Amino acid sequence: MTPDLDPMILAIFLPLFGAIAAFMLPRAAALIGLVTLAMTTGAVFWLAQRVLASGAVIVPLGGWGAPLGIDLRADGLSVAMLLLTSAVGFLVSVAALDSLKGADQARQRQYFWPLWLLLLTGMNGVYLSTDIFNLYVMIEVIALAAVGLTVLSGTKAALRAGLEYMYASILGALLFLMGVGFVYMQAGRLDFAGLIAAEPSAAMSAALALMIVGLLLKTALFPLHFWLPAAHANATAPASALLSGLVVKAALYIFLRLTTYMPLPDEILITLIGALGAGAVLWGGLQALRAERLKLLVAWSTVVQIGLIFIAFARAGQVGLAESWKAAALLILAHGVAKAAMFLAAGRIKDEIGHDRIRDLDRAPVRPTLAQFTFALAAISLIGLPPSLGFIGKWSLMEGAMAAGYWHWVAITMIGTFMSVAYFSRVLSAFLRFDRVRAPVGEHQGWALADAAPLTLALTAIGLGLMAAPILRFIEIGYPFGAAL
Amino acid sequence: MTDPLVIFDLLLALAIVALAIAALSVRDLYAMIVLFVIFGLLSALAWVRLSAPDVALAEAAIGTGVTGALLLKTLHHLRFASGQRSACMTPAIPVPTGVMLANAAFCGLITLGLAVAFLGAPAAGPGFDALVAGAMPASGVDHPVTGVLLNFRAYDTLMEVVVLLAAVVAVWQIERGLSDAPSPEMGEVWQGFARLALPAIVVVGTYLLWVGAEAPGGAFQGGAVLAAVGLLLLLTRAYVPQPHHRGIARGAFVLGTGVFALVALLVAGGGRVAFEYPLDHAKTLILLIEGMVTISIAVTLAALFHGREPVALRKEVRHDT
Repeated sequence: MTPDLDPMILAIFLPLFGAIAAFMLPRAAALIGLVTLAMTTGAVFWLAQRVLASGAVIVPLGGWGAPLGIDLRADGLSVAMLLLTSAVGFLVSVAALDSLKGADQARQRQYFWPLWLLLLTGMNGVYLSTDIFNLYVMIEVIALAAVGLTVLSGTKAALRAGLEYMYASILGALLFLMGVGFVYMQAGRLDFAGLIAAEPSAAMSAALALMIVGLLLKTALFPLHFWLPAAHANATAPASALLSGLVVKAALYIFLRLTTYMPLPDEILITLIGALGAGAVLWGGLQALRAERLKLLVAWSTVVQIGLIFIAFARAGQVGLAESWKAAALLILAHGVAKAAMFLAAGRIKDEIGHDRIRDLDRAPVRPTLAQFTFALAAISLIGLPPSLGFIGKWSLMEGAMAAGYWHWVAITMIGTFMSVAYFSRVLSAFLRFDRVRAPVGEHQGWALADAAPLTLALTAIGLGLMAAPILRFIEIGYPFGAAL
Repeated sequence: MTDPLVIFDLLLALAIVALAIAALSVRDLYAMIVLFVIFGLLSALAWVRLSAPDVALAEAAIGTGVTGALLLKTLHHLRFASGQRSACMTPAIPVPTGVMLANAAFCGLITLGLAVAFLGAPAAGPGFDALVAGAMPASGVDHPVTGVLLNFRAYDTLMEVVVLLAAVVAVWQIERGLSDAPSPEMGEVWQGFARLALPAIVVVGTYLLWVGAEAPGGAFQGGAVLAAVGLLLLLTRAYVPQPHHRGIARGAFVLGTGVFALVALLVAGGGRVAFEYPLDHAKTLILLIEGMVTISIAVTLAALFHGREPVALRKEVRHDT
């Protein structure tokens, strides 16, 4: 008997079995991890091909079908998120081979892979889920694996940040679960179709409010971002790249889905979400300007970018969310690729120079040029310069906002952009000035094969901007959910 | 005519809220844990009154039993680490009264809003009951909760077991080879208790697992009760985890997830999708999954109680980095 293989099942079960294998065989963990990532990426490409050919696809697990059972469903947006996760994940995994090779990192090497593969299981599960209780379980899987990765480096600061992250994460998940309870009370079912069918009521509003606050806490939108900078800055480099580039996107994705199926009851709420995004852009920008450590600066830039995504969500377009989610989705993809590249590059710079104090970066006798170049490329995409994907995302945000006449939102986006130029320049100028080093500078020291993965990511972040039109067409496949059924 | 149980329910609800407030306001950590355990037991009772015996069992076994043990163990460790006999909760920076009042008012408003939303919702929503009842004959088991957990929504249950696996992997990973707090002195009564209790716990745990097919019970409840065996063995030092046991332990952690996922995949084919058990074998497969998951849950919970990967201790004395 040969089991019928479905790419959606594979995208969830391959990482799960990989995690089990990597946990059982610690010595072969890295090999198992890389093979699993490669196979998962393959499965996701297969799925993408199917979705391209025939639109959204559904697997009713157990053959029951929603609402009794749970359906897996892949459409353009979910496949785009899966592609982002597995492709970025694969490159981060390649980079992890090098950055975890130290003699004192045996435990990190051993545990990185099972935790990361469990994390991948959870994220892929989120992107394929059509059921809010299932989403709750998946965000719990993600939360525990992500906390494990946060504390992987074993430093006191990382442990403290990890504990804080765990509290925030569990609180967010509990709020989400409470919202799920309200939905069940009102609608009597938990699948997305049930959400669409439900009549607006006080219970549904309460459910939406609870779930949104829970998700905002998990995705770290200002002012619920308090846990993020320390957690992302103190993790080991590949873990930071995964946490910042991919993990916060899972909650963002759920947010996008929920608000598609459960319309926000009030225009004021949408403005409020945009205002929180503006707060994140300004506050995060200020903190990034003040940060003393490179990785902390990069972590604050994540807070800024999350804020930007919410501005895009709230205010990019005349017809509201039906249009603005696309700008948000583009920014999610752009940030995922560029931030992973940037965290890996920051980790490489820290490894080569030996510290990541921004004010002393230009005094180092070593010049890890490729890593610095990667950092600069990633910064280009995060600032939003053409032709990067970040530019396209920001452009569609501003175009939409301008068309709808939201000039003050355009102004905030511009201020955020200038601030990001300023804080990234603090780092980039330190890369360029070597006049403070008396000894000869090792220009070509610190090139390594390890730079290949982050460089590829950064180049992708720039290059994907040229493919914006097909990407946009792709994420619209099967949107919205109701049309496909 | 008022049902006398209504008075009982009211008292129960009041007691639960009072215990929650007491647990949050008491300063002594030990008293806090004791209050929390009582709170959990009364919550379990409340679940029974809400006609959810499965949840009640899980609450009693996991939410109260295992969690209480974990909290007490942590307290013991905290006392050892800080060198104090009685650990009290004294926040480093006391919260200003104004902030506290503002928080209380804010939380009160939210609670009020949720209460209004709750009261405005339909009294008895449609729910899954009719759907589940209709599909039960095709599920292979007789107890609706087991049908939902192991068949209709088996995917959720698999991922819950994965959550537990992720937890134990994360806990093992934190191990830094530092010396442990010495285990507390246990009297002779304890040894005798263990001898008497162990066989009974094994029987109860296995029974809970077995009965899950037609009555309240199942893998999570049975696993939690069986985990008590592990707790007793660890506490009495009848079993001391050794570094060379790690392979077996890892195997036990992943057993439930692995078998569950393999069964879910292997039943697919011939027109069936993943998780679609053939009806003739449904009961056997569900029992197999539940059995393996029970073992994993029991071992994982016991390992979480132990709280660390058994590695060879470092030679040097404690240093925290």
